[in-house]
Order: sequence, then structure tokens, then C-alpha cells
Amino acid sequence: MDSGTMEKLAVLGEGAKYDVSCSSSGADRSNIGRIGSAACAGICHSWAADGRCISLLKVLLSNDCVYDCKYCVNRRTAGVARRSFEPRELAALTIEFYRRNYIEGLFLSSAVLVSPDHTAERMYECLWLLREEHGFAGYIHAKVIPGTSPELLHRIGLVSDRLSVNVELPSETSLAALAPQKKPQGIFGPMRQITETQLEHRTLSAPGLMGKLDSAFAAGVTGGRGAPIPAAFEQAGGGRRTGAGEPDDDFGIAIRQGGYPDRRRTYKERFAPAGQTTQMIIGASSESDLHIIRTSEALYRRFSMKRVYFSAYIPVASAPELPDMAMPPPLKREHRLYQADWLLRFYGFRADEILSAEEPDLDYDLDPKVVWALRHLEEFPIEVNKASLEELLRIPGVGNVSAKRIISQRRTAAVRYDDLKKIGVVLKRARYFLTCSGRYYGEGELEPCYIRDRMKGMEGLADPSRPVPILDRARIRSGLVGAGPEQVSMFDALSGRQGGL
Amino acid sequence: MNYIYDGTFDGFLTCVYEHYHSAKADGIFARGVYQADMLTPPREVRTDEGKARTVEAAIVKKISPHALARVYRVFRTDTDGKELMLLSYIRLCFKSGPAMAFLHSHPLVNPVEKAELKIGNEVHRLCGLIRFSAVCPAPAGGAGHGGEGHGGTVDSGAEAVAAQMREILYARVEPDHEVLEFLAPHFTDRFKSEPFIIHDTRRGRALVAWHRRWHIEDFTERDAALLENAPSERGYRDMWRRYFDAIAIKERKNPRCQRNFMPARYWQNLTEMQPR
Ligand code: SF4
Repeated sequence: MDSGTMEKLAVLGEGAKYDVSCSSSGADRSNIGRIGSAACAGICHSWAADGRCISLLKVLLSNDCVYDCKYCVNRRTAGVARRSFEPRELAALTIEFYRRNYIEGLFLSSAVLVSPDHTAERMYECLWLLREEHGFAGYIHAKVIPGTSPELLHRIGLVSDRLSVNVELPSETSLAALAPQKKPQGIFGPMRQITETQLEHRTLSAPGLMGKLDSAFAAGVTGGRGAPIPAAFEQAGGGRRTGAGEPDDDFGIAIRQGGYPDRRRTYKERFAPAGQTTQMIIGASSESDLHIIRTSEALYRRFSMKRVYFSAYIPVASAPELPDMAMPPPLKREHRLYQADWLLRFYGFRADEILSAEEPDLDYDLDPKVVWALRHLEEFPIEVNKASLEELLRIPGVGNVSAKRIISQRRTAAVRYDDLKKIGVVLKRARYFLTCSGRYYGEGELEPCYIRDRMKGMEGLADPSRPVPILDRARIRSGLVGAGPEQVSMFDALSGRQGGL
Repeated sequence: MNYIYDGTFDGFLTCVYEHYHSAKADGIFARGVYQADMLTPPREVRTDEGKARTVEAAIVKKISPHALARVYRVFRTDTDGKELMLLSYIRLCFKSGPAMAFLHSHPLVNPVEKAELKIGNEVHRLCGLIRFSAVCPAPAGGAGHGGEGHGGTVDSGAEAVAAQMREILYARVEPDHEVLEFLAPHFTDRFKSEPFIIHDTRRGRALVAWHRRWHIEDFTERDAALLENAPSERGYRDMWRRYFDAIAIKERKNPRCQRNFMPARYWQNLTEMQPR
């Protein structure tokens, strides 16, 4: 490995560090390949100085970008050192890091080198070398460049565990202003293709359907447009796929026969078995929190996203459209958005319940679930011995696990107040909002201001010594681009345009 | 009466057997750990495989296979008085039925559960925190470990792949508990075809594995000295450190969080935590 590799690694690792969507999970590739397994999810290998877990080698294939996104360190007009890995070079580096147990897999992203397809081609080459030449069965997360052609995207999906296309900004207006070369179609087209291909694979790999695979597969690849299928795909569709739920018992047979069956020597050919995620930059444009969580709600619904990540904008350039260089990243806002996101995903809330046009922004001092409860005091207190699961989940301090435990204990005996703590309910928050066999335990009145004061400052970010900047809305709003309240979200636009994508 | 045994799992099970069949055990100590007690002479228990199997079968039958696995894992922890703790646990379950085995609020079950959690956590943590080096058996040395008996000279014309074939992955760990065998399933799956050694430097033992087969053997610093870093090793370590430094976001620096997840006692074997 030549000395240039070190230099590239430093530059291209640095260039990828702002990407927050990084966790390995969900894929099962044990007992295959020559090296690596993605069977054991959630292994952290190290923790960087900022306290973030390092699980994957997160790098760019290149930072030599032809695009000019205003918020990005690697935009064309930025004066940074430009480097690009050779696909072979990066594949070898990944394997060597993996052998030493530095990493659990690869998270590959890239700037737009020459064109989206040119970049995608090189990414594919790198991943293919890893899988086929090195026999790598570990975890791969590939970031799809907006505008990548369906054919290439399909190939990349077959060698990756997880894919993601960044939505980047919460509205079309902001996208046009800050990332002018990225088009909504270029982002949502690939997202949709990923969702649909996965759906197809799940159906097709059911028993008894193998015969139909090729024709249906062809229809999927070309998206019904009738384009010819490149030879590589036909080969890939050759029926070696394994279903998502199929038990992995080949290995047992292999042992009994004293060898490994040949087909198991290679990685499992499945299309992005760990699903797709996306990422949105927070605080570079002026959208309200309501707009942001509506957008992420739509992303979960339409594309079955595994996660929508938020990334607090860290100023990298001064431009009239962007927040001041001195503005600290809106970490607290990011934290509250993640809590709201949690409510969407696990608590059955809708975006419109969490925020409204009159109150379009989250309260940065309080958990959004508490805020909701304070705004709907007429629904409280809730009697834990009578409420449905859905109702229990609305009580601040009651989580999914504790709600289920309450229900199961109720079957044998009434839940007493003292049981709640053992069950896992956070009483310092919950007691204001519930009764236990008719008795109320929150001292004082069920009265918003009182409860509010009691709860403020009860929880903070993990490290209280860390400065927690609050976005100066007035300052930002005045100068920033973004969708105004009356503007349609880009998802409305998307549904209107669906046929044309 | 105090029991003294040889420190093996079978030895411990033999003590359990003797507890039931001859004298009640008030204390069970591994040889070397026991400090003489003037008043009552201890009893030396000779490890008996037959008795050990009998106890094992009884645990499986009267409690559950799960409970046996738990007893075994806890036995591998570095917990003071684990033998007596486990004996009380086994007695409780024998007496009050298998339902007791996982009743986590019971005062005899709780410490067992805690100890089991500790070793489980360490195993999980080490799956990420172990660092391997690519090594070759030293040229002058005899046969290396892990099945490769080559003299170790890499001829200049050999391809990188061939060199890699001759390499062994070697890792040093200093775990709190005896975790080697619990690491084996994960790492044999990870390194399907490469020989590797995980050396517990605290206990002088090593997990030696190749092609999904593994065993644990005594391994000293002398053995370790027979292994030389492969020519490429330095370069990759430097690159990893460089990468590690490059990816931290300085606006979000949070050393406390870092230390929480990655306790300082593991740092000496972590490539990226070495001084630059
Ligand atoms: S496409 Fe935009 S966001 Fe991506 S590297 Fe280029 S300038 Fe940066």
C-alpha cells in the first residue's frame, strides 16, 4: 500500500465524518464468504473523541465534486485538497482494517466525481471486489448518489446490506437554493426503486416462486420501461437468492459432509436486506420543526425507511443563504427532533399531533411527549388499570415495554402505584398524568404551568457541561432560504408528479 | 467444612457432589486461593469426572439446560466466592424448583444474574475492542501456532495474497473474566479461513483457531515472542490512527462519553489509544 493511501484516508475520512447515519444492523450473513459476518449486529469497535461509536469504516470514495451544494465542505468551489481512492485500493484497505478488527464493515459514500453514474460505477466496482475477490461477507452500507441510473443502483443494491439516499433538506425550495444540482426526482426515484425492489424480492423468494423469478425480476429492473437488461443482471437474477426468513442450516449439513457447499462460499445475493435510511440537515434552512417531522413522517410512510436521521448543521462556509459561521450547531434542536421521531415510530403519534400550524416548533426545554400531554390535559389523568395500550403509551414516562407490562400484570392483579417503578415507569414524569385505582399521586393540581416548572431542567443532554446552543430563530429566519408556512412540502409535489419519475 | 479443589469446572461440580453425598461445604476454594484456617482442616477434593457428569445431568434435569449454561458462565467470571454463590444457587433451585432459576429479585439468584451479565457484557464489548495484528512466525523460531509451520521468509516475488496466506492474526487482551471460549464463536465466524490467536495475557492462555476449529492452550510471552509483525502491519496501524483522529467532529468533542464506552483499562491494547 503506497504512502498516498494514508493521505487519502485522512482526507476522505474527514470528508465523510458529518454523515450521522451509521449503524450496522439487520443483515444476516453468517456462514458465508471467506471472511466476515454481518450476523452480529450492533458491535462498536471504538469511540471517537466526540463520543460517537465507530462501527464502520466511513469514507468517501472521492471528494472531488462537480456539484456545488452550499452547505458542504467538498463543494466544487471550496478550496480543499481533492483525493480519490482507486476502487481496488479501498477494497484492500477495508479488508485489512476488517482483519485487524478495527471495523465491522464499510460505509461508502462519495462526492460526485464527473457524474452520478461515473461515481456509482466506481463504487460498485469497489464493493464488487470486496464481495467477490476478497469473499467479504461483512456489513456494507452504500450511499446512493442522487441521479444514479436504475441499472447501477440495482447492482449496488445486490452487493450492499443497506442503502441510503440523502433527502438533504426538508423542502424543495431549500434544495433548489442550497443544492441546485440535486433534483427531487433524482432523490425520490432511487428511494422508490429501493422500496419496490425489496418488496419484490420478499415476494419472489417465497417458496414455490423461483420459476417466476426471471421474468418478474426483469420487469423490476427496468421499471417497466422496457430497457434491455445488462448481462450482469441476468446473471445476478439466476435464482441463487435466499429468502429473508429461510433458516440458515446449510452450515450444519456442510459439517456433516466435511466441507462447505460451494454456493455458500459467496455472499448472499439479496437486495439491500437491511433496508434503506436517509438523512436531513437541520438548521441550514428555515423550515419549521413541523415541516421537518411531516417530511420525515412521509418518508417513513412512502418508502418504509428504517430511519430518518437528522444532522445538526455545522457551518462550513459563509454564504448569504446560510447561517452565520459563528452559529453553533443546533444540537438541542436535533435532540428534540429525534424524540419527536421516536414518537412517530414507536408511540403511534402523527406529526400533526406533535406540532400544529399555530405552534410549528418544538419546545427545546421539554420532551415533546410532555408538551403534548400538557396541551391535552383533558385526556389526563389516565387510569392505568383501565386504559388501552394506545392510551398508556400517551402517558409521559411510560414506554413500550412498561405499557405492555402493565397490561400483562393487570390480567392477574390490579397494578398498584408501587409496582409502577418496578415495571419501568419513570414516575417523576408519569405521576402527574395517571391515577392508580382511582388515586392521583402527583402532588398539587393537574395544572400545566405547575407541572411544566417541575419538569424543566429535569433532563438535559448527556453532558451538562457541553454548551447547548439554541438556534436563534429570528436571526436565522430573516436571512435564510426555506419553505414558508404556505409552501407545499416536496412530498406533495412528489405525489403529484409520481408518474413522471 | 472447607473444600479445596483444583480450580476446574469439573472440580467444582465434584465439590457440589460431595456436598450432597458426604460433608456439607461451608466454603469452596481453588487451590492457591485458600488461606489456611487453624481450627478446621480443609478437605482436598479430587476431581472426579463421573461425579461431575452426575451433577451436570442433575442440573439439566431438575432445573434446566439454561441454568447449567448460566452456572458455567458464572464459573468463568472473576468473582470472589463464586463457588459458594453457585452452590447456594443450585441448592435453592433443587429445593424450590426450576421456576426459581430466573427469579431475578431473589437474594440468592440476583448475584448470580449480575455476574452472568458482567461476563456477557465483557464478551460483547471485546468483540469490538480486540485489536489484531498480522504476524508471521519468526524466521529462527520453530513451528508457529495456528497450524502454519513455515519458516516465515517472504520471498520478494510472492504476491500480497500469498503473504497474507502465511500471516496469522494475533491479539492481546487482558480481560476481567475468562472470556476466551465465549469469544470463539464470534471470531471463528468472522475469520472463516484465517488462523488467529487471542492471547489472554493476564492468565497466560490463548484461543487458537483456524478454519472454524479452535482450542484453548497455555500461551506465554515466550510463545508470543516467536511471532513477528508482518511487514505491512505498521502501515495499517498508522492509517487506522490517522483515520481515527480525522473523523472526530471537534464541535462535538465529548471525552467523558468516549471514556464511558471505552474504559481506560482496555486502552493499552487499543491501537488508536496509543500516544501519537
Ligand atoms: S454532491 Fe453536494 S453534498 Fe455531495 S459532495 Fe458534492 S457538494 Fe457535497
